[in-house]
Order: sequence, then structure tokens, then C-alpha cells
Amino acid sequence: MTHPKLTYLAQGVAALLLLTAATMKFVGDPGSVDLFERLGMEPVGRYGIAITELVAALLLLSPFAALGSVIAVAVMCGAIIAHVTQLGLVVNDDGGRLVAMLVVVLVCSVYVLISRRKQIPFVGDTL
Amino acid sequence: MKSTFAIDLEKMSRTANVGIVVLFLLAGAAGHFASFYFHFLTVAFFLLVLLNVYWRHVQTSHALLANFGWLAQLRYIVESIGPELRQYLFASDTEERPFSRVKRAEVYRKAKGLDATAAFGSLLSYDRTELKLRHSFYPVDEDELEPFDVAIGASRQLDTTYHIRHPIMISAMSYGALGQNAVRALARGAKQAGATMNTGEGGHPKYHLMEGCDLIFQMGTAKFGVRTADGRLDEDKLAALAALDAIKMVEIKLSQGAKPGKGGLLPKEKITPEIAELRGVTMGQDVVSPAHHVECVDAESTVAFIGCVQRVSGLPTGIKFCLGRPDEFRALVQEMKRQGTVPDFITVDGGEGGTGAAPVSFLDEIGLPLFEALPLVHRILLDEGIRDRLAIFASGKLISAGKQLQAMSLGADVAYSARGFLLALGCIQALQCNQNTCPVGITTHQPELQRGLDIATKAQRVANYIEALHHDHVELLAAMGSSSARLLSEENVYAPSQGPVSWPVREPS
Ligand SMILES: Cc1cc2nc3c(=O)[nH]c(=O)nc-3n(C[C@H](O)[C@H](O)[C@H](O)COP(=O)(O)O)c2cc1C
Repeated sequence: MTHPKLTYLAQGVAALLLLTAATMKFVGDPGSVDLFERLGMEPVGRYGIAITELVAALLLLSPFAALGSVIAVAVMCGAIIAHVTQLGLVVNDDGGRLVAMLVVVLVCSVYVLISRRKQIPFVGDTL
Repeated sequence: MKSTFAIDLEKMSRTANVGIVVLFLLAGAAGHFASFYFHFLTVAFFLLVLLNVYWRHVQTSHALLANFGWLAQLRYIVESIGPELRQYLFASDTEERPFSRVKRAEVYRKAKGLDATAAFGSLLSYDRTELKLRHSFYPVDEDELEPFDVAIGASRQLDTTYHIRHPIMISAMSYGALGQNAVRALARGAKQAGATMNTGEGGHPKYHLMEGCDLIFQMGTAKFGVRTADGRLDEDKLAALAALDAIKMVEIKLSQGAKPGKGGLLPKEKITPEIAELRGVTMGQDVVSPAHHVECVDAESTVAFIGCVQRVSGLPTGIKFCLGRPDEFRALVQEMKRQGTVPDFITVDGGEGGTGAAPVSFLDEIGLPLFEALPLVHRILLDEGIRDRLAIFASGKLISAGKQLQAMSLGADVAYSARGFLLALGCIQALQCNQNTCPVGITTHQPELQRGLDIATKAQRVANYIEALHHDHVELLAAMGSSSARLLSEENVYAPSQGPVSWPVREPS
């Protein structure tokens, strides 16, 4: 159903984008700060999410990619909730680029999740 | 009567399945109206709900999950960590199988060279159901004992006659079942202690030879290392191996206690270029280990084959088997006498023997236990008058000097152990030998796992274990008032009437 090479590609793309996103949050990019302020999560939430993204990215590049993909999917779901319910799809006049990136990460990590579902700790055997 | 405490799993799981949906909605609302942080929970419950839908309505291979959902998964998780929980928390010190913690601890202690005294009393149920040694009113001094020495091949006046100097030898375990570090640690330990090691049926013993210990080359039914393309004996290869200095004896494996009468399959995925070379097989195709040597189809051909290997190798040559039918064995012995070909030793492996991998039905249900088989073999050889022309080696959980002496009283000359030495190497009885995941790096080829097995340290443990067993052997023997294990007989063991040996030992009619 899935192709090993594509899985590795998806891991790479997702990890790269997650690392970029985490870096923006860590350095306090004004755009990110503004978004987290609007969610009422500044600064604890910003750092918390940044750390989670970093962990997910590193796991995606390691033998524990299955776990990484679960975390990545979770973070992206949270981000989509934020954009749909509070922030809007176009933020800081980016023409929806941020949300598009989110979707790319989500799709990639879902792909990894599906192809590596057997390796997910505890539940992998049943999938 | 219906118990009041009965858990209605169906009702509980229905609540649980609806519960996560409710929790998902609640968290969502809280995230929206109270604080965005609640959405962490929203996401978690969302994923759980998705997973639950998959379990309940999509997958078809797990009935429990389809019927009950995520609550049943908790059961799988608890079940999957059950063995560890039992081993670490709930199993008592004397109840684990195959080796209880008490028995394992004894090997660990010997291997680490620690004091082996304990206080207050035996932890075993010391009662009438176990074999025990009989001591004498008149113990002998330890320095009056003859040094341990069993000469193999002496009755044929071979100039390659080999002297075994320790009551215990390392039983067959192939490179393949064991990783290279484990093989080298065992071989180096044997070398340090001056003991003898069997190579197992893994073909050319490359890693054993690196350490220079005395070796018994084992020829399995697939004859790895000495086979022709169609699995017959390649005499030139055997002669070349036998000419090596380290190789002192040859053991023809007819069967093994853990899986008597069962062949095996070496799947092509496992055949690395190295394995192909050592075992003499071609890459890219499965290799079948037949259930018997192709040359051996009845008593006559089996004895002829033994004679052939004796002739080609020029070394003391014996056979290894797990006893099934004593009448068959008697017929084999009679055929030996007829042809004038007697193996130089016979290894009797108990049905309780270990293995790297065997079907459970074979582990559990087939083959005579050692303490039943050994006296039968001994008695038949005596009856037929050839007992003094060969030695008997015995294996099957003989991991302490006491058990070894019991075996010697029942007919064995030398004891063999496989798993005792794995314990000395640090085996924690994780029972994963067939999965390439051995957590202590013994039965695995993964470099990351073998890393933890330091050859020098573990070789010392192996040597300590051999020496401690020899030390105990001498002490017990002295207490039994005997100057040599050679002189022991059935009189030296107490065999309870409901115990592990039919007593007096006799051949079933
Ligand atoms: C990991 C492992 C590999 C084994 N490989 C062989 C083998 O290649 N050939 C053989 O005849 N027996 C093999 N055996 C069986 C042992 O040589 C021995 O007969 C048996 O385990 C009984 O001794 P024990 O109870 O001291 O372990 C193996 C056993 C183990 C545990």
C-alpha cells in the first residue's frame, strides 16, 4: 500500500518543516508570538509546542519514526483546530502559506503513520 | 451462582467507548471557551476515537478489539508485559522454568567467582520426590582423589586418543544459534580452564578456532561444513577439518533432546555470505536439515556411517541422540557388535534439553528425560558387553555438580551442558533465542546487542564456572567416599519410588 522510499521522503519533508516551525517559535519570530498571543498561550505554549515539534522531527529521523509520526499528527491536528476555530486560514497576510505548510506536514506524517503503523509502541501489533 | 463481583465487560466497554467520544467533545468545548490548552486533550481523544473506530469497525483479525474496543487493548498491553511482570514481581524464586531463579543464581555465583555458601537451609523442597546423592559414613580426603581423566578412543588404541580433564564440557551450540561474541567468549573460557567445547552443527568453526580451545566437531544431519551439494558427507572436507590441531573429536548428531526426530530449515534470508561459506551451502535458497542423516536409514547403515566417519577423521568419534525406544537402541548396539564398529562415545541428551528454536510440541512432548534414558543406555551397553569400549556423555539441565554426579552415578562418564554456560555468559532466561533479539547479546547477531557481551570478561566467567563445578565435584565425591566418579553406580543415588527414574532401572517390556 505504501512505498518504503516514499515513506523515507515523507519523513524527511515532515521533519524539515517541523524543524523550521520549531526554530521560528524558539527564536520568537514576531509572527509566531502574535499567533500564540491570540490563543492566550504566550510564551509557555509557544515553547511547549516548539519542543514537541522538535522531538517529533528528531524521532522522524530516527528508528522511532512511527512514534514521531504519531506526535507530528497530534501537533498538526492541534494547529488545524487553532486555525479553524480562532486564527483563520490566512494569517499575517501570508495568503494561507502557513496553513498550507501545516497540511503538507499533516499529509506526510499521516503517510508515515500508515506505512509504519505496525511499529507504533503498544498498539502496533493490532494495526 | 452468579458472583456479585462479576465484571460486565460488555457494559463497561460500551461506557468506555462512548466515554471517549464524550470526553473528546468536552475537551473541545473547554478548549474553545475556556483555554486553548484543553485542546491538547481534544487532540488526544480525537486520535483515540479514530483508533477505536478502526478497532471496532474496520479490522477483523482481533475479535476482542472488534467487540469491546480500546478497553480490550489494555488487556493486550498487560498481557504483553505479563512475562516480565511475572519474572520480576510475581514468580517465586523456585518456580520459574526451565531454570528457577535459585538455580540460575547458583550458576551466576559460580561464574562470578563469589562465595557459594548460603545460610539456614535449602530453598528447594527437599523431599522424597527428587533424586539425591548418597554420601558415605567414611568420606575420603580430597587429595586422595584421582584427577579427573576420561580417555576417549583408548579402546581402539588411537594415537589421537583424547583425555577429558574436567567433569563438564560445553555442549553443542552452533555459530548461528549463538552470535560470534558468545562463541568466542565460551571458547576463550574453555581455553583458560583447559576444558573441551563442542562446536555445534554450524559448519566450519571459524570463531571457535580463533581461541584455540580443544574442540569436538559436531556434524549435524545437514553436515554443515563437511557436506556435498546434495547433503552427503564430503570426506575430503572432513579429513581436512579433522587434521586441524584444535579438533580433537567428532560427534555425529543423530538427534537432540529438544526436538528428537525433527529436521530444520535454514531460511534463505538468514544465509549471509559468511554463513554460506562456513556451512558450505549456496546463497539464495533455503537449506533443509533432514530429520536424519541421508546415509543412516537403519541400524546397519548407521553403524556403517559411524565407521566411515571414524576412518575418514582418524579421531575419536561418537554419536549424540535423545533416547526414544530402548529396543531400537539395543538393536543398534547389536549391529555395532556384528560390524565390529563401536563409537568412541555416546552422548545421551535428555528430552528436557535446550535449543535455539524448536516447535513447542517437540519441546514438551517427545523424548525420554535424561535420568530415565541414561540408566537404560548404560544397562544395555553393559548387557551387550561393550560398555567398557566407549564413554557416555550426558546432557540435560546438568548445571550443578550435584546433578552431574547423579548422572555419573547413573552411567555417564562426563557431563555436558549448554544452557549452564549460557547462564554463565549472563543469560537472563528471556526466552528469545529464536528471535535474534537476545537482550544480553548471546543468541543474536545484531551488533548493537552483542556490544554488551564483552568477550574477555565473559570468558573469565566461563572459566570460573568450569573450575567451580570441578571444585564442587571433588568435594561431593569426597563426601560420597569415592575416589573417582568412575567408581560410582546406581547405589550412589537415592531415587524415590515416585521420582524421575523407574527403579530399579529396567527396560520396559
Ligand atoms: C542455543 C542453543 C543451541 C543449540 N544448538 C545445538 C546444536 O547445534 N546441536 C546439538 O546437537 N544441540 C544443540 N543444542 C542442545 C544442547 O547441545 C544440549 O544438548 C541441550 O541444551 C541440553 O543441555 P542443557 O540442558 O545443559 O542446555 C543447543 C542448545 C541451545 C540452548
